[in-house]
Amino acid sequence: MRVAIDTGGTFTDCVYMQDGQFVVLKVFSTPQDPGLAVLNGLRQIAAGPQVVVRHGTTVGTNAMLERKGGRVAFVTTKGFEDTIAIGRQARSKLYDWFQPAPECLVKAELRFGVTERTNAEGEIVRGVNAAELEELVRAIGEADVDAVAISLLFSFANSKNESEVARALEKLGLPLSVSHKILPEFREYERGSTVVANAYLAPKMGAYLTNLVKGVEEAYDEARLEVMQSSGGIIPARLAAAEPVRTVLSGPAGGVIGAYKLATLAGFDRIIGFDMGGTSTDVCLVDASAGGLRISNESMVSGIPIGVPMLDIHTAGAGGGSIARFDAGGMLRVGPESAGSMPGPICFGRGEQPTVTDANLALGRLDTERFLGGSVKLDRERMMQWMAKAKGSITTVEEFAAGILQVIETSMAKAIRVISVERGHDPRDFTLVAFGGGGPVHACSLARALSVPRVLVPALPGALSAVGILLADTMREYSRTVMLPVEASLENVFREMEQVGVEEFRAEGLTGLAFRSVDLRYRGQGYELNVPFGPGMAAEFHDLHQRRYGFASETRALEVVNVRVRMVSAAEKFAPVMQALVEGDGSQALIGTRPVYFDDRFHETRVYNRELLRPGDTFAGPAIVSEYSSATVLPLGDVLRVDGLENLVIEVHA
Amino acid sequence: MSDAARSPIELAIFQSTVHSIAEEMGAALRRTSISPNIKERRDYSCALFDGYERVIAMGDHMPVHLGAMPMSVKAVVDAMELEEGDIAILNDPYAGGTHLPDITLVLPIFFGGSKRPAFYAASRAHHADVGGMHAGSMGPAQEIYQEGIRIPPVRLMTKGVMNRDILSLLLANVRTPAEREGDLAAQIGACRVGERRIKEVVAKYGLAKVNELVEELLAYSERLMRAELRKMPAGVFEAEDFLDGDGVTDEPIRIAVSIRFDPAAGAAEIDFTGSSLQVKGNVNAVYPITYSACFYMLRCLLSDDAPATAGLMNSVKVTAPLGTIVNATLPAPVAGGNVEASQRITDALLRALAKAAPQRVPAASYGTMSNLTVGGVDPRTGAPFTYYETTAGGMGARPGIDGIDGIHCHMTNSLNTPIEALEYAYPFRMRFYGYRRGSGGVGEFRGGDGLVREFELLAPAQVNLLCDRRRFSPYGLAGGGDGATGRAQWITADGEATELPGKCTLQVSKNDVIRMETPGGGGWGAATEKK
Repeated sequence: MRVAIDTGGTFTDCVYMQDGQFVVLKVFSTPQDPGLAVLNGLRQIAAGPQVVVRHGTTVGTNAMLERKGGRVAFVTTKGFEDTIAIGRQARSKLYDWFQPAPECLVKAELRFGVTERTNAEGEIVRGVNAAELEELVRAIGEADVDAVAISLLFSFANSKNESEVARALEKLGLPLSVSHKILPEFREYERGSTVVANAYLAPKMGAYLTNLVKGVEEAYDEARLEVMQSSGGIIPARLAAAEPVRTVLSGPAGGVIGAYKLATLAGFDRIIGFDMGGTSTDVCLVDASAGGLRISNESMVSGIPIGVPMLDIHTAGAGGGSIARFDAGGMLRVGPESAGSMPGPICFGRGEQPTVTDANLALGRLDTERFLGGSVKLDRERMMQWMAKAKGSITTVEEFAAGILQVIETSMAKAIRVISVERGHDPRDFTLVAFGGGGPVHACSLARALSVPRVLVPALPGALSAVGILLADTMREYSRTVMLPVEASLENVFREMEQVGVEEFRAEGLTGLAFRSVDLRYRGQGYELNVPFGPGMAAEFHDLHQRRYGFASETRALEVVNVRVRMVSAAEKFAPVMQALVEGDGSQALIGTRPVYFDDRFHETRVYNRELLRPGDTFAGPAIVSEYSSATVLPLGDVLRVDGLENLVIEVHA
Repeated sequence: MSDAARSPIELAIFQSTVHSIAEEMGAALRRTSISPNIKERRDYSCALFDGYERVIAMGDHMPVHLGAMPMSVKAVVDAMELEEGDIAILNDPYAGGTHLPDITLVLPIFFGGSKRPAFYAASRAHHADVGGMHAGSMGPAQEIYQEGIRIPPVRLMTKGVMNRDILSLLLANVRTPAEREGDLAAQIGACRVGERRIKEVVAKYGLAKVNELVEELLAYSERLMRAELRKMPAGVFEAEDFLDGDGVTDEPIRIAVSIRFDPAAGAAEIDFTGSSLQVKGNVNAVYPITYSACFYMLRCLLSDDAPATAGLMNSVKVTAPLGTIVNATLPAPVAGGNVEASQRITDALLRALAKAAPQRVPAASYGTMSNLTVGGVDPRTGAPFTYYETTAGGMGARPGIDGIDGIHCHMTNSLNTPIEALEYAYPFRMRFYGYRRGSGGVGEFRGGDGLVREFELLAPAQVNLLCDRRRFSPYGLAGGGDGATGRAQWITADGEATELPGKCTLQVSKNDVIRMETPGGGGWGAATEKK
C-alpha cells in the first residue's frame, strides 16, 4: 500500500488508491510535531506492513520563513569569509533609503576561513594545512553550533581540499553540509547560500525525519518513508534528512504535480498551474511537449538564493487578502500588502481595508453562508459599508469591486506571462489548471485575458498536493560545473555521476534510469539553457535560444557549463477508473440562484453544489459551482463539463 | 462602467503592463549579453517612450540612467528621421549620451502607416571597452577624444538590415570586438522584445486608447510627485560637497546646490549655480547625469513602486550652468562623470534635502564607485581582455537604522562579478573579499562598513583606477561621524607596497597585487545617544 500524507496549516491530507479511485482522509494537523498527524492518519486508514508513506512536509519551509533554523558555522577559503553576507553587493530596492539590511543565515563570528586554494582549472594552488585544520576543528567545537556548512572556492572543479576539511570536521559529530556534494556548480555566493540553507535546516529536518522514520517503522513492519522534494520528485527520507534544502518547497511541488497528473489523465498535458491562496498566487508551467516539468536552478526562498533544482514556480503578491487602496496620484492599487488572517478581509468581521475577497463578495461570487463549509460567516453588510467609504471617486461599490478584480487579475496575468511568454510559450496552447481557495474564482476571467482556451478545476482540489505526492516519480538530481567546449567528451563525467546515482538508489533498494542533460550557452554568456544530452543538443540549444530570446547564431561557439544526471524510478502506472458520462444539465446539483455581477451588471446566476454534479453534466455560464474550499465562477458564455474523473473542464469563449 | 470608475482602474492595468515590458526587455538583455559587466553585474537599463520622447516605463535597473535615457531618444529624433526597421545607436555624451562606454540603442515603433513613430524602445548598456587610450575606456584622460570612439546618433540598422559599415568602423576601434558585437546583438534583441510587446498592447486597446492611457499615466505621475512636494517645507535649502580632484591637479571640485521647495504649487527648483567650472580630468558630468541625480532624489521620496515616468519631473526645474562640473561642454572628458560626479551630486542634493526633511534622509553613503579597469592579454588563450568593475562601500546611516555594510547605493546598483566567474574569464586570482571593519561612521546609528577587495594579476596588465572620497569623507548627519575615506595599494610580487592615488594608471607585472579599500558610510545622530 502506498499513501501520500501532506501537512497543511489546518489539516493533514492522506490520500491513497482503492479500486482505481482516490480515497481522501483529512486529520487535524499537529503543528508542535507534524509527525503525530502523519502517524494518526496512518492509524485511521489502517495501514499495514510494507506501507510506503510519501510525505509532503512544511517543517523546512516554516523554519526558513520564520527564521527558526539552526546555528550554522560557515567554512570557506580564507579571505572570503564575508562573501556569504555580502552576497551580490546590490540592494533589493532601488529607491528605498530605509530598506533593512539583507539577512545572512550565518552570524559574523561563525564564519571561518581555511588557508587553501584551487584555481579555475581545478589545480590545487595551495593544499590545506593539518595544524590549521586542527585549530579550525577546535574553534568550531567551542562555537556551540548546530551544523556546519563548507564551501571552498572552486571545490566543484576539484574537491580534494574541501574533502579534507570535511573529513577533519567529521569528528565534531555535527551535521555537515559540503558544497561539492550538495551543489558542485560555479558562482560561490549562490552555492554557499544553498549549502548554508542546507545546514540551517539540517538539525530540525534531520531530527524530524529521523523521528518520523522511526515512528513509521516501529508501527509497521518493513514500512518506508519517502519525502517530496521541491523538484517534484520523491526521495527516500534518509537522503532527504541529509539534504533538507531539496525539500524546502515540498508542499507547493506536490500541488503542481497533482495538477499536471490529473490534467494529463483528463487529456491535457500542457498546463499552467494557478494556485491562489490568501496572500499570494503561485503559477507554474508544465509542457509535456517541451520536456515536462520545468526545473529552475536559481530559485529564491524567503530572500535566500537556493541553487538546487526546484520546480520553476513563480509567486506573485496577489491573494484573497490583498488590500486595495488609492495612492497619492489617484491610481487604484491592489496588493502586495495583504490583510492576512489578522485582521483579514472586511467581511470576516475585523478588517477595515477592502480586499480581493471583499470584492468577490460584493459581486455575488461568494456564498455568505457556505464559505469554507460554513465555518466562516461572511458579513456582507459590514463589507458594503467599508467598501462604500473606500471607493473614492468611483460611483458604485460594484464598479469599485470589479476594478479591484481587474487590477489583481492583471498582476496574476503578469506572473503567468513571466513563466509563459517570456520563456517562449504561447498561452493559447495551454490549459489553466486552477486550485487553491481563489484559483477557481478567478480562473475563467484570467484565462480570457491571456487567451487561454480552457480551464480545468481538478477533482479533489482540497487534497491536490497529496494527490501529486502519491503519483510522483522517485527522482534524484546530480550536477557538476565543467566549463568545456561543446565538442569535449563528457562520457567520463556522466559515468561517474551515474555511478553515484546507481549506488545511492541501490542502497535504498531502488532501481532507476539515468537521464543526461547539459546546460549550454554561447561561449561568454552568463546564463545557460538546459537541453537533453546527445548528438542533437546543439541544434536544440539554438532552437530554444531563438524561442526564448528571439535570436540564435549557429556559428557562435557553444560551451557546456554544467552536466546533469537525473535518476528516475517511475511511479507505478496510475490508471483510474473513468466513470461513464451521462448526459445531464446538472439540475440535480442546483441549490438556488443569486445575482452575480458580470460585464458591468448583475445577472441572476445559478448556483450548483459540486458534490452533487455527475460526470457528463454540461452547462453554460453564468453559474457558480460551490464546494468546500472554493467556488468556480463561470462567466457568461463559458461552458462547463464534468469529465469522467469529476474534473470540471471549462471551454472559455473568446 | 462609468468613466469615473474606468480611469483609476485602466490606469493601474496600463501602468503594470508597460512596466512589465521594460522589465522583460531587461531580462532578455541580461540573459543574452556576453560581457560579465552586463550579464553578471547588470549595468544596463531598458525603457519605453511615447512618440514625444517621454519615458513611460523604465525597468528597475540603473538610477544613473533615469533622466539620461530620454535625452538619448531626443537626440536621435533631432538628428534623423527614423523609419520602420531602423535602429539608432549613440554614445556621444555631447549628443544624448552620458559617457562613452554607455551605448544606447533606440528602436522606433510605427503604427498604421504613419511616418512618425508612436513609441520608442531603448536599451542602454555599459560596454567594457569602447577604445581610447586606456583599456576599459575609463582611465585618466584630458579630452574626450582620448576616452574612446564617439558615436553620434547614427543608424546601426537600416530597414531591418545591419549597417555593416557602421558596425565595422565601431568594432575596429575597440579592444574586444567580438564581445561588443555579442552585447550589441543582445541590446537589439531587448529592443525587439519591447517592440513586440507594445504592438500587442496596441492590438488589444487600439492606438488612440493607448495614447490616452499614456497621457493619463504621465498626468498621474505628475500628481504623485506634486502630492509629495506639498509635504515639504517652503524655502530654499542649500548645501555643498566636494570631489577630491580631477586626477590632473589636486584642486577640490565644488558641487553647490540649492533646492527651493514650493509646497503651495507642489513644485521644486534645483539650482547648481556656484559649482566649480568644468575640469581637465575626466570627472565632468554632462547635464543628463545631473538631471538623473535630481530625478533619483525625488523618486526616492515616493513609494518604491511608483512608476518612473517623465511625468514625475513636470513640476521640477533643474538649472545647471553650462561649462561647469555639472554641465560640461566639449571637449571635456567625462568617463568619471557618470560614476563619480553623479554620486557626489547626489550627496550634495541629499545634504540639502536633509535640511528640509531631516528625518527622511540618510547620511552620505560611500560616494565613489571605486572603478577599476584592467587590460592585457590572457596567457591561457593568448586573447586580449578588458575587465571593468565597481566596488560597493558602506551605506550612510538612516535616522532610526544603521547603514548597510558593503552595498551599492544611489546612482548604481550593479552586482559583483562572482569570483569563480571572474577567474574563468580573466587571468586574476582573488586573494581577499570582505568587509572593511570599522570604516562606517560612528553615531547613534552607525554608517555601513566599506569593502576590501584584493587580487593578484596572473599576467602583466594595465590597471586604471578612478576613485574618489580620499580627502572629503562621506559626511555624517545630525552629529554622526564621517565614514572612513577610501584607499588603494599596489603590492609587487616581492612584497613592496605603494599607496595609489585615487585616479591613476599603471603598468603592473605578473603576480603583482592590487588592494582596494572602499569608504564607509556616514553615521547619523551623536554617538552618545545610543541606548
